[in-house]
Amino acid sequence: MTPQARAHEEQAIEMANYPESIPTPTALTRRRFLAAGAVVGFGGFLAACSTSGSGATTAPSAAASAAPSGAPASAGAGASPSGKVAWANWTYYMDTDEEAKTFPTLDEFTKLHGITVEYSEVVDDNNSFFGQIRPALEANQPTGWDIVTLTDWMAQRLIRLGWTEELDLANMPDFTANLKDEYKGLAWDPDMKHHAPWQSGMTGLGYDVDVTGDLTSLDTLFTADPRWTGKVDYLSEMRDAVGLTMLKLGLDPEKPTTADNDAAIAEIQKAVDAGIVRDFKGNAYAEDLKSGDATLSMAWSGDMVQALVDKPSLRFTIADQGGMLWTDNSMIPKGASNKAGAELLLDYYYIPDVAALVTAYVNYLTPVKGVDAKLLEMDPEIAKNPLIFPPPDVVARLHVFGPLTEADEAYFNETFAKVTGVG
Amino acid sequence: MGGWLKRHRWVVPYALLAPGVLWLVLFYVYPGIQMFISSFWSGTLETGFTFSLSNWTNYPEALSASSEQFVRSILYAGAATILTFLIAYPLAYTIAFKGGRYKALLLFLVVAPFFTSFLLRTISWKILLADSGILLAPLKAIGILPPEFRLLAEPIAVVSGITYNFLPFMTLPIYVSLEKIDHRLVEAAKDLYAGPWRPGGAIAGIVLGGVLGGVLGYIFEYPVPIWAGVWGIAGGLIGWLFISESFTRITFPLSLPGVFAGSLLTFIPAMGDYVNAEFLGNPSTRMIGNVIQNKFLVQNDYPEASALSFILMAGIIVFVAIYARALGTEALTTGRG
Repeated sequence: MTPQARAHEEQAIEMANYPESIPTPTALTRRRFLAAGAVVGFGGFLAACSTSGSGATTAPSAAASAAPSGAPASAGAGASPSGKVAWANWTYYMDTDEEAKTFPTLDEFTKLHGITVEYSEVVDDNNSFFGQIRPALEANQPTGWDIVTLTDWMAQRLIRLGWTEELDLANMPDFTANLKDEYKGLAWDPDMKHHAPWQSGMTGLGYDVDVTGDLTSLDTLFTADPRWTGKVDYLSEMRDAVGLTMLKLGLDPEKPTTADNDAAIAEIQKAVDAGIVRDFKGNAYAEDLKSGDATLSMAWSGDMVQALVDKPSLRFTIADQGGMLWTDNSMIPKGASNKAGAELLLDYYYIPDVAALVTAYVNYLTPVKGVDAKLLEMDPEIAKNPLIFPPPDVVARLHVFGPLTEADEAYFNETFAKVTGVG
Repeated sequence: MGGWLKRHRWVVPYALLAPGVLWLVLFYVYPGIQMFISSFWSGTLETGFTFSLSNWTNYPEALSASSEQFVRSILYAGAATILTFLIAYPLAYTIAFKGGRYKALLLFLVVAPFFTSFLLRTISWKILLADSGILLAPLKAIGILPPEFRLLAEPIAVVSGITYNFLPFMTLPIYVSLEKIDHRLVEAAKDLYAGPWRPGGAIAGIVLGGVLGGVLGYIFEYPVPIWAGVWGIAGGLIGWLFISESFTRITFPLSLPGVFAGSLLTFIPAMGDYVNAEFLGNPSTRMIGNVIQNKFLVQNDYPEASALSFILMAGIIVFVAIYARALGTEALTTGRG
């Protein structure tokens, strides 16, 4: 080998063994990597400390922003509410400006009070959402939410477990004044200290009138008939399905007993075995009704208002035996960082003008007094819609599923799981 | 650092493995241990859970309560794996051997549905298979099918949904192993008179097709003799026309590693699937995934849900071990069966 070749070879070996010796101006050495990391980290530190919004009271220390303590730093008894409120709610439950993708009433609230609302439509199932917040609540940590909106029975469970903050009703004058009477005095929160109803809905019969004709009885859900056998959807929500079945059997869902539950489950099982029931569904029953895969279903009033627009032959009715009334309730979970702001926001939605705007878009039943009068001025069509403002004789036939002990709830869920095929 | 590493070269492989191992430990081993411990709990959400080794009874209880869904999951996942294999193998074969310039485009088309979410793909099948949808309405209008006939809310819809969702998982590994085959081997086989297998292929096709059709008919709850007959005839035709000795002796054995990988990638997730059964099925088509979801989220029965998850995992490991043995380990690693 020539001396030059040998020199080249040695240089190649050198470069292979000592990569840092390769003269590249932008080599990523360990020192440079750590330096860059420090710069990025410090920048992040500064960003986390920066104030956001007017009058923010976020503690300007990285430790606090990294692990917010449960202590209500900004929610002291005498502190004026400010900062931001994080709200977890269901989809299509707030008036929305479709094009601008904003929520007009929330923006109005921010203008009035200077509090930003982080509104997230992340609740699509009571149980899944409960599964998300449970670990934090069990460990006495904040969940990151100031308001969560969940259905009656889940609200009852949260309150039973002691995982909600007590509402300071002195801060909520509109709520105290305008809540409809039928929402007061519930067994699981008689003094309205832990929850504020958001919207209510009815569970009744949904059907395609072109195929089935006018239906008025819950018996239709359990009887074979060529118009709907194999095309009936039941709700996968236990309290709605079992509740309606209890009404069909003449039992009282407001005082549910295990014996009543067994009778209802047996009735449902008969219908499933006879091939009458197509499937147990959540909101998807509306798709089935629209496509014709189902001609009769247990249905929720709010969904049907929308479905009627897409398919005019659909109808919703509360049967002669009655229907279920359920409510989604807003609560402040324990450890919420802005309790005062949350109370202010909840109270804001009990002003009839604001509640009317929400109902006009959402099309569910409102718990606020005076909304129907407001809507008669703003949008008479909605005010006269019996699915949104049911007449008194229908309201008299509505029942709220009674409270259950934990043992009973487990039993009811277990028997219902068996009949839906997952038990 | 460079000098130290040079002197302690043995560290390098471990250093390279470290991120992956760390990830596995944090997100697989630790939660797995957590879940195993919780399967020995008793109690409820509100009264609290207590650990006790005497709660090993959770396992036999869970297994006997959900045995129906377990068996059904095995049948559905197995059927879906076989169906994906039947669709994916010809597809991968065509792309690998006849794709030519269009290989990349065809592979892209195979994977393209994955750009949409799993949920959307399943719901799109709901629309396609609707009772008066684009598939059934014309057939009902002509009169081939009775008006009450439905594909949705039946086992066939659930298995079809699983098949569709996992097709790329089967296609791509088979394609990769077919691509690697040296074409000269096939040429050499043909030179040695390895031609079309006609009678042998037809008989193999009839038998395999008939058995498969019968099994599928049983799973889908359709008349078994008719299904066995139709699939047997179809199998015979395919065997007569397409199967050659060079395929059975050279190509197929060389592609076994891909078939093995693809069938594992299909069968294992399909066993735990719950989305297809939820959207496309009815109460009697629920799979073990639905049971675990219900027990965990609705009933808050964490001990039993964890026990079921572990039984599912153990069952899958047993299946995979038997499958690997049956295929032969040499076939998997060297490609020579």
